[in-house]
Amino acid sequence: MKRNELARKWLPAVALGLTLAFSSANAGSAPAGDEDVPVKGAFDDYDKHGDEHPAAAGDAARSKAYSPYAGKSYPMHVYFGDTHNHTANSGDAYMAGNSLTPEQAYRFARGEEVVSSTGVPVRLSRPLDFLVVSDHAEGLGIMFQVQEGNPALVSDPVAAQWSKVLKTGTPEEKAAAQSEVVKAQAMGTLPKVFKDPKVVGPLMMSVWQQYTATAEKFNEPGRFTAMIGYEWTSVPGGNNLHRNVLFRDGKDKADQVFPFSAWNSEDPEKLWEWMAKYEQKTGGKLLAIPHNANLSNGRMFELVDFGGNPLSKDYAERRARWEVLQEIVQTKGNSETHPTLSPNDEFAGDLGVAGWEYGNLTLTDSPLKPGMLPTNYLRGGLLRGLELESKLGVNPFKFGVVGSTDVHNSLTSIEEDNFFGKMPIQEPSPKRWEHKSKQSDWDAKLGPTKSRYTWHYLSAGYAAVWAVDNTREALWDAMKRREAYGTSGSRMTVRFFGGWHYRAADARARDAAGTGYAKGVPMGSDLPKAPAGAKAPTFLVAAMKDPLSGNLDRIQIVKGWLDKNGKGREKIYNVVWGDADRRKIGADGKLTPVGDTVDVANATWKDTIGDPQLAAVWTDPAFDPSVRAFYYARVIEIPTPRWTAYDALRFGVKMPPEVPMKQRERAWSSPIWYTPGT
Amino acid sequence: MMRKIVREPLLHFLTIGAALFLYFHWSGGGSGPTSDRIVLTAGQIGHLAAGFAKTWQRPPTEVEIKGLIDDWIREEIAVREAMASGLDRDDTIIRRRLRQKLEFLFEEVDAAVPPSDRELQAWLTENADLYRLEPQVSFRQIYLSRERRGSATEDDARTLLARLRAAGPDTPIDHLGHPTLLPREVEMSSLAEVARTFGQEFSRSTEALPVGVWSGPIQSGFGLHLVWVRARVAGSLPDLAQVRLAVERDFTADRRRRQLAAMYERLLAKYRVVIERKAADDDGGKSGANAS
Repeated sequence: MKRNELARKWLPAVALGLTLAFSSANAGSAPAGDEDVPVKGAFDDYDKHGDEHPAAAGDAARSKAYSPYAGKSYPMHVYFGDTHNHTANSGDAYMAGNSLTPEQAYRFARGEEVVSSTGVPVRLSRPLDFLVVSDHAEGLGIMFQVQEGNPALVSDPVAAQWSKVLKTGTPEEKAAAQSEVVKAQAMGTLPKVFKDPKVVGPLMMSVWQQYTATAEKFNEPGRFTAMIGYEWTSVPGGNNLHRNVLFRDGKDKADQVFPFSAWNSEDPEKLWEWMAKYEQKTGGKLLAIPHNANLSNGRMFELVDFGGNPLSKDYAERRARWEVLQEIVQTKGNSETHPTLSPNDEFAGDLGVAGWEYGNLTLTDSPLKPGMLPTNYLRGGLLRGLELESKLGVNPFKFGVVGSTDVHNSLTSIEEDNFFGKMPIQEPSPKRWEHKSKQSDWDAKLGPTKSRYTWHYLSAGYAAVWAVDNTREALWDAMKRREAYGTSGSRMTVRFFGGWHYRAADARARDAAGTGYAKGVPMGSDLPKAPAGAKAPTFLVAAMKDPLSGNLDRIQIVKGWLDKNGKGREKIYNVVWGDADRRKIGADGKLTPVGDTVDVANATWKDTIGDPQLAAVWTDPAFDPSVRAFYYARVIEIPTPRWTAYDALRFGVKMPPEVPMKQRERAWSSPIWYTPGT
Repeated sequence: MMRKIVREPLLHFLTIGAALFLYFHWSGGGSGPTSDRIVLTAGQIGHLAAGFAKTWQRPPTEVEIKGLIDDWIREEIAVREAMASGLDRDDTIIRRRLRQKLEFLFEEVDAAVPPSDRELQAWLTENADLYRLEPQVSFRQIYLSRERRGSATEDDARTLLARLRAAGPDTPIDHLGHPTLLPREVEMSSLAEVARTFGQEFSRSTEALPVGVWSGPIQSGFGLHLVWVRARVAGSLPDLAQVRLAVERDFTADRRRRQLAAMYERLLAKYRVVIERKAADDDGGKSGANAS
């Protein structure tokens, strides 16, 4: 753009802005910066680096399209959803009293009011953007075989004969007829009526095919995505190795297979084999999201394969290929880290650890022992990944993060003031908080008996995905490139970029995202190669509150790296915080606490502390270019009432002091990795 | 361990679910749970093999077929023995599963009949309010942060508003206001969508703003905003083509509910239901002959 042209287009506006600039010269509490006026913004930078970003503001003014957003190819919206919802098609959910089908799960997620399995009307404050109904595969495939003898077939004489036999014949006749049907089905010699889609379509449908059909019905590209998926429920000895498998594809491809279940094999490598075969056969795409590392008794990131052999490069490549995300939070706790592993992290044990650190999923087998901790949480997994990468040449644990729910009542209803529990028995009632969901059954030698109660459950979480559109393909692609983050249930917006050129002013850019993409890479990526002369990586991080949840307390960056001995280390940096005029980092390295405005008795709070938005550019002050590292952002809200506080108020019940009544909602970004020499 | 099984729905399901399914599948034919013959026909083996192939994407080997057969026989034995010992009686889970399967079969038959346009139109007319399209608005906005300006924010807003009004409609605004992740341009969106980003308070306020004028400041959880409403679409009743997908979904869901209720009504006629209440509600016992 020519200078004079720019001046002509922008001069009036700049003049207009200047007036305001002078009036705001001594602006308030924003973190330190060169200038802090609402005039100079991103376009000054774009002007200098005009070619860096195709959709810079100046270009938009010049281009024909009026909208400055037209033609942007990077994700402008974050989409919130749940990748982990169980309906009545899940055997355990159904047996536990869930009578809501996938249809109701979708309706609810789209914002409609439904009646829960326990008869309570429920509705979300705001619709979700996407939902993966991820019923357990175990049992789905077998249900497929229960269809014979349906009255819809009796228009055909052969079928009518079979039907008659099945209804009234002797056991032997029935057996013969049934095997004829089965055989004809296998050989493709079924009567014509069986090929009439109207008759046979629904008849031949398995639960899986019926499910994929329901997903098609509720999938509205651009508005609401019903992504196809299921859960592979491997739980050897009560150790949780579950994975949700997500399809990029529609029914046409998904129907070509039966979901691979843990009844087929509990070994994740077998699951990956199946996923590879699916892709080969259909041309479709799959990814897997493990969950509840915290309930795996150290097996989620163990340093051996399922058979106990040391990990190989081949294993590392396949795991990194298929398992691009991990679920960091859900109703069954927080898998980020444990206070024993992260003693200097003041947010390591405050949310979703109590009650979940006793043992594995079923509290069988053994208590969680200290030796299991390093491979039992995601931060440890990321560190083990760096360690393994230096040995194997490939990082097997190169994952991003999402949150999700694992609800078994079809209702992704995890807003603190609208929590419907994980199981139907945990739906709202005066007594639900004290319901005992699990009790350990290890013997006294192993340790004292431990119990998990409903009050230990978190009203959490969401998967937040930076996709270019709300479609199966776009969301899946974003997940695949790990451009996603997890929240504990709040819908805050989080941007996180890494590169070598971010400057303080970029955090105040009008189009932080444009600057972010133009000068670096988003969450989930590898840092680009360091340019000559670059001393340390820089990170642009920005967050905006959920309009219905609390203000933001702070943004932190969690760094993990390998020390001289090749061992993983971690450090937490507070990089920007609310109320900056009255808060600072003390001699102990801790930031002045933000305060607490929660009124527990009335289950309310005030946004008089913290900030609605935070942004900063942070440079790693201790960067060593010779060692592997990762960085992820964590955004902490001010304290707000926990679901238990709403229960206490609405049901007029008093809970003992160990039951938390408030909590700090948060978000975790996917990491950005640095590898020496790349 | 039993204690655990009773408590743990997932384990419960994983351990006995398979047996139940298989039993219900095969009990309709074959050699019946009360017979001492266990017959596995070539067709059934073919079916087991086909199921295997669809999961593993390859046919089973001889060893694997043998494994499938052995497993099936073991399950058949377990199921028969369990039935003979009456383990199935009064079992909530088996009862629920049977009911689910019955309703499942029924629903499949129902789903085979696509609704006609006339039915859908009638449904839409009758339930018009469910499909009323929300008012929509498109706008540009400039954000002013109270965190940065405190009590001066209101004055700033008024000053800027006056100048914006003077500057005309096409004034570039990208450099105005405070930095934010909020969009400055919002394309035609329903008020609910606006509320998802800006909050309820802001969304409601936009309803009263005139089109084509800089207005405000209006308040949100983030701070103050000056807003230029570009255009507005009033709420309206859609025609069928616009909402066909939703209408079809709702119509068939409702039809299924009605037909399921009708099926139970029909089946109920086959039974004489006696409800015996405690002596205390004596009266209820007499009048409770009809379970529905």
